[in-house]
Amino acid sequence: MHEEMSTQDLKDRVAVIESMIAEGRRSTESWGWTFLLWGVAYYVAIGWVALGQRLAVWGGNGLAWPVTMIAAVVVTIAIAFRKDKGQPGTTVGRAIVSIWISVGISMLLLFPALSISGRIDEHAFVAIIAAVLGIANGASGMILKWRMQMACAVVWWVTSIAACFGSQAQLTAVFLSALFLCQIGFGAYAMVLESRRRRQNREAHA
Amino acid sequence: MPELPDLNPVIHGKLRLALLSLLTTVEEAEFTWLRARTGSTDGNLGAQLAKLEEVGYVAVEKKFVQRKPQTIYRMTEAGRKALTEYVQALKQLLGESINV
Repeated sequence: MHEEMSTQDLKDRVAVIESMIAEGRRSTESWGWTFLLWGVAYYVAIGWVALGQRLAVWGGNGLAWPVTMIAAVVVTIAIAFRKDKGQPGTTVGRAIVSIWISVGISMLLLFPALSISGRIDEHAFVAIIAAVLGIANGASGMILKWRMQMACAVVWWVTSIAACFGSQAQLTAVFLSALFLCQIGFGAYAMVLESRRRRQNREAHA
Repeated sequence: MPELPDLNPVIHGKLRLALLSLLTTVEEAEFTWLRARTGSTDGNLGAQLAKLEEVGYVAVEKKFVQRKPQTIYRMTEAGRKALTEYVQALKQLLGESINV
């Protein structure tokens, strides 16, 4: 068979393989919105606690975190379910999603338990959240070889250490800054990249 | 001089090669996703996928999701092996390293 084929034919086949593998790996999964959503959810919970303390409204501070976090989980599941339709799963995608789901379940179980038992203060709370987010961002960043996400992991690890020291005002400033950078900023950045990638995909197939 | 390898004619078709290459990157894929990625027509895509299914390189699953029919394709072990052998043969024929 190869006798009738020119080198150009063979190179064309190589180009087909390379372009299709690249196309498949250019995953259609988009998760930037989850970072943004959860960043906003944390801000809402913190704002609710702060306002609740000042105004003594909305059922007290005890409800702020559980209500906000449960609402964020419900919204995340609803949006993810809608977005996932028709998109093929990749092994890499499944690895990353499983890291974040495990992290989410751990936090949703641990923090209410610590809160109910009274064996946690604000410093420990932020230190644990930051360390866990550092693990998840670090693992995802290493799998995806994505330096920006690795940078977020470093920010979370620094935040985790910083949370062990300083005053409550400093703790709040550090936590809000890390949230803004690594959730809202990173989420918006990821969404811009995803939108650019989708546009390139459309142009490639136009 | 070593004998040059033959290229698997089933895989050699451009669209079938594209489909197998795409399917190596995902666990499974819907017909519509494959159509969008390859830019082919329904008829041609269906025919080439049927050929790949016939030789056992892809497995097909038909199901209903929210009352809508879905056809899901995944690469079989035989398909993966055949594609690997095809790439090896290409490398030998071209006499250069292929980055795939």
